[in-house]
Parts: sequence; C-alpha cells; structure tokens
Amino acid sequence: MEALLFYVFGGVAVLATMLTLTVKNPVYSSLWMILSFAATAAIFVLLDAFLIATVEVLVYAGAIMVLFLFVIMMINLRAEEAEGLRWSPFALLAAGTFLVMLGRAVGDLGPAVNADQPNGVVGTPGAIAETLFTGYVIPFEAVSALLLAAVLGTVVLSRRKAAA
Amino acid sequence: MIPLEHYLILSGMLFTLGLCGVMMRRNVILVLMSVEIMLNGANVALVAFNKYIVAASPDGVGPDGQVFVFFTIAVAAAEAAVALVIAMALFRRLDTVNVDDVANLRW
Repeated sequence: MEALLFYVFGGVAVLATMLTLTVKNPVYSSLWMILSFAATAAIFVLLDAFLIATVEVLVYAGAIMVLFLFVIMMINLRAEEAEGLRWSPFALLAAGTFLVMLGRAVGDLGPAVNADQPNGVVGTPGAIAETLFTGYVIPFEAVSALLLAAVLGTVVLSRRKAAA
Repeated sequence: MIPLEHYLILSGMLFTLGLCGVMMRRNVILVLMSVEIMLNGANVALVAFNKYIVAASPDGVGPDGQVFVFFTIAVAAAEAAVALVIAMALFRRLDTVNVDDVANLRW
C-alpha cells in the first residue's frame, strides 16, 4: 500500500513537473506546478514529515505559487514564449547531471545511512519546534533577518520612481 | 517499505527537471519556477535522508533534516519575492521577460 502510494504520487510529481516546463501558457505552468508541490507534500507524508507536508502545501503551493500567478497575470504574458525552448547542449548537460546523481543514489551511501530500515523519526510540530529552537536558534534568527531584508528589498524595488 | 534509493531517484528527477527548465526556458518567470522545482527536489532528499540516517548518539536522531527543509522553504520564499519584483521591474523598463533580451547585463 505504501509502495503503491509512493509510486503514484512520485509519478504525479514528475509528470506535473514535466508539464510545468513544457506547456506554453505560463498560467497553466504554474497550475501544474501546484499539482507537483501537492504530490511532493504527499511524499513528505509518506516519510512521516507531517509538519513539512503541511508547510509545503501552505507556503509553496499556497503562498509562493499565488505570488507567481499574481505576477504572471499582472504583466500579462501571452505573446511571450512563442520562441519555444532552447535545446542543444543543455539537454546533454542535464542528462549527465542526472546520471551522476543516479550513480550516487544507487551506489554506496556510506555507514551513516541504513537504506532499508527507517529510523522512526516523526516530524510532528512538537519535535520540529524542539529541534528548531534548541539547536538551530542562530540560523532561525538569520533566516528571519533574511526575510526582513527580502521584504525591504521588495518594497524598494517595487517603488515606481525609485530614485531615478 | 520503500528503500532510500527510490526517494533519492525521485529527488534527482525533480532536480534534473528543474535544471532543464533553468537552462531551456526563456521566460524569466519560468526560470524562477524551475529554480523552485530544483529546491523542492533537494527538499525531498533532505527529508528522505532524515528518515533513514543511523543514530549517531544513544538518544536517537531528531528531525534535523526537516528543520533544514524549513530553512530552504523560507529562503525560497524570500528569493521568489525578490526575484519576481525584479522581473516586474524588468518588464516595466524593457517591456520583455525573455532572458535572451536582457543579456546586456552580462558583461
């Protein structure tokens, strides 16, 4: 049952991602990408990462994709993308990258992981909060500073006559 | 029980698809979406490794990998906001979102 769910949601994620990258209309692209993120959230549930799955849906599929859709509709991309894709050497480079990653994934992963036996970590909100606010307080504060900087940068960049 | 390799292959597929998108699409917004896909693929690998890592200390393993994913998502959100506003500024100034048309920033 679990294996079936993994292959269904993994397949949906990969297919939706392919469609994201190949459809012409950017609005359809972002809708397929929302499906891809939803399927990834299901994969996270299979990995017992419940809070991450929730955050994936709320932040990625919700907030970030709404931002993308908003901008796509605001600048009304329609005539763009008539040029199509850029093939040539890039596809080979990507294929090479994938082969390297595949080799690493099926090869020896070292003594730190046991590839067949999960360790029973469950990503409940409590467990994650405890790790986040004990071992990772400084990175947490750094990320909050980064988000503040991003907000300020967005405000400055979006002013119409920014010092010009 | 699904072995770790399958999650890693899924993660690699998502990452590679994102990489293809970054290199092959010409629309700035689609390039940004591809970057998000790459980050998402990496997130799958982080959560999967967190689930299969062997406890180094006697008190077991914590959800550290999932905390990393938290940080990735926060950084992705910040990146998306700033990059999208840059795309909008680009569109207002040059009336295009095609990456080939703004190559004069390169040199």
